Amino acid sequence: MTGQPLLEVDDLSKRFAARAGRDAPAWVIQGLSFSVSDGEFLTIIGPSGSGKTTLLNMIAQIDTASGGAVRFQSQLAPIADPKALNPGLSCRIGYVTQEDNLLPWRTTLQNVLFPLKVQGRLNDKTRAHAEMLIRAVGLAGFERHYPHELSGGMRKRASLIRTLVYDPPVILMDEPFGALDAQTRTQLQEDLLRLWELGRKTIIFVTHDIAEAIALGDRTLVLTRAPASIAGEHAITMPRPRDIRGIMTHPDFSSLYQRIRAQVQ
Amino acid sequence: MTTTQGTLDLAEPAPVRWRQHAVTAGRIWLAVVLLAAWKIGADAAGPVYAADPFKVLQRIVEDTASGALIRHIYVTLRLAAIGFAIGCLFGVALPFLLRRMPRLTTAVEPYIMASVGVPKYALVPLFILWFGIDDAPKLWLVGLLVFYPVFIAVFAGIRNVDRRLINMARVAGASEAAISREVVWNSLLPFFFASLKIALPRAVSAAIIGEFLVGNEGLGYLIEHSRQSFDTTGVFAGIAVATALVLVINAVLERIDRRFSAWRPTDRHMEL
Repeated sequence: MTGQPLLEVDDLSKRFAARAGRDAPAWVIQGLSFSVSDGEFLTIIGPSGSGKTTLLNMIAQIDTASGGAVRFQSQLAPIADPKALNPGLSCRIGYVTQEDNLLPWRTTLQNVLFPLKVQGRLNDKTRAHAEMLIRAVGLAGFERHYPHELSGGMRKRASLIRTLVYDPPVILMDEPFGALDAQTRTQLQEDLLRLWELGRKTIIFVTHDIAEAIALGDRTLVLTRAPASIAGEHAITMPRPRDIRGIMTHPDFSSLYQRIRAQVQ
Repeated sequence: MTTTQGTLDLAEPAPVRWRQHAVTAGRIWLAVVLLAAWKIGADAAGPVYAADPFKVLQRIVEDTASGALIRHIYVTLRLAAIGFAIGCLFGVALPFLLRRMPRLTTAVEPYIMASVGVPKYALVPLFILWFGIDDAPKLWLVGLLVFYPVFIAVFAGIRNVDRRLINMARVAGASEAAISREVVWNSLLPFFFASLKIALPRAVSAAIIGEFLVGNEGLGYLIEHSRQSFDTTGVFAGIAVATALVLVINAVLERIDRRFSAWRPTDRHMEL
């Protein structure tokens, strides 16, 4: 992937305020820089507690940064002042969080249509697109079910297409498949790749699973333990479309896995 | 929930259904026993102190036919409904306003919580002094008694809203108004309905007590006036009608609550 970086993270830092009884405020992220180009699938690997969610929260503009900058199409995002934060950067950054965060009182279909509704973009065309996505991830027939009536995998699918439905140029994903069983996880990874091949969005996908990071990404970043910074960067050159189930047997896989493994502490 | 509920009902084994019939039969039997106890007790106490249940029923039928009872019910319900609407409106609106002003909230919260402790019925003489003897003092009483449970529940409900849902909605491009309407309001509905279960019967009680003190119409007036004219049957009839009224209101509320909380994975056996 070449071209102008769509999103730049520049020397980003975050520390949480000192709590009573704890001497120094802890730095969660310090001097973190990277960029993503348009249409790139970037994966980020980090040990648990390395500030991955904090990083995505800052990029999504629901949390402030203690230092550094985030630029979208070379424009500075107002990231330092809590009052100026613009969550989702005017619908240009979508965010699939770790929990599905579906509205429990809304049906699957209503949940998927939610962003379109609040953005005032619900019309026949976008509705048809939403229905296409629902079919594409196998949720057809469950449109009128409430979240608690769906399985964990189905809820994840619903939350995934709720972000895809309004087509934000950048999508952040925070270990979206972390809590699923291996079978459902592989299925969802395949669904995600298929949907991505259709639209080629820019995706920043955070995970602690090295195999997942390799299987999905064009490029992967390895984070250090907190305070997080970049420990290493690896281009993943395996051709697309990829076969998730067979990727482990690809000749490049094992050496890449070993190299990343060595950097993950 | 409804679909699974339906299939469960179909699959229900016969013994369970038999048990349900037994429960219904037990209820009817209990009603007969209670009625008999009332009758025996009333006969023992004498007509000055307690009324015969059949005479009470007869009185209710007569007064209904003459239209007098309907008028009293209408007056009380109207008072309760208007007072309830006012109390409810402020009880819901105020927490939503305070949500936007966290510093003001922290400042006024102890005062609001302290004012909960003021016995509202004790304020009626003041209300009469200030607002005269028309509906106004009674509306103040009903309004205040409804306001507090609703306000406290909605206030707690707003504090309890899942931050993650709000963040999700913000990222998805929802305005603050849309978030209030969709996320906050729906999150606190269970709290709101729980408070209504307290507030609605209270509204009727407060209206009746208001009528004891002021005015010449309504169920409260009927009860108090009957007492003053040594008409114990009238007192009992008024109490019976007021009780029935509260029960009907509760049943309607239950229906509405069920409709609004159809999405909730409740355990039906846990319901009160």
